[in-house]
Amino acid sequence: MTLSILYFGMIAESIGNPVETWHSLDPLTVGELKHQLLERYPVLRDRKFQIAVNQQIADEAFPIPPLAEVALLPPFAGG
Amino acid sequence: MKKVFVDGPISPQFVAESLAKHQSKTTIGAHSMFMGQIRADAKEGGVVTGIEYSAYPEMAEGVFHQIREAAFEKYELTCLHIYHSLGLVPTGEISLFVFVSSPHRRATFEALEFLVEEIKAKVPIFGKELIGAQGDFVWKENQ
Repeated sequence: MTLSILYFGMIAESIGNPVETWHSLDPLTVGELKHQLLERYPVLRDRKFQIAVNQQIADEAFPIPPLAEVALLPPFAGG
Repeated sequence: MKKVFVDGPISPQFVAESLAKHQSKTTIGAHSMFMGQIRADAKEGGVVTGIEYSAYPEMAEGVFHQIREAAFEKYELTCLHIYHSLGLVPTGEISLFVFVSSPHRRATFEALEFLVEEIKAKVPIFGKELIGAQGDFVWKENQ
């Protein structure tokens, strides 16, 4: 499956990139993708973030559909 | 869907004009407004000079829409407007403007608090607090 991953705020700054395409041979849950992301970007271990799938906050058990837009969202600061 | 984001600070003139637009709506008996203003907090390395806002705009507009719908369902409101800045907002300027109107005051007080808390908790907006003159910053986090 192919996903597009968007990074925001402090997370984009830590990774040095706001967007990338992610390929996986197997379907992934949010938790499995998070595990892969932490392997690729160890800096994320020290960062707080939530994950949104197709613009909805998703928990770790959520199965990511093919071609989904996944976003890593650091703490919100609106207001 | 109503547009929420504005570029840079929200001016006092904009707030006044929004109020003026409601004078023809004569079922309204009460307005309440909330304005969020940028504080010059003292941080390690200097004083905050402004906040640079960014967002996940497509998701944020959707969440703003859900929050609006929830407010109309919970409270007796005639109308409701939300504006939030993107980009740089200097210290002392306004970055959030929430404006609710109703036939009666109590609904405006309650709706306003609900809306501001929901916005702070749920909308994917990010803020860099700019510090001093050397280009330092820290990422803001709502409590």
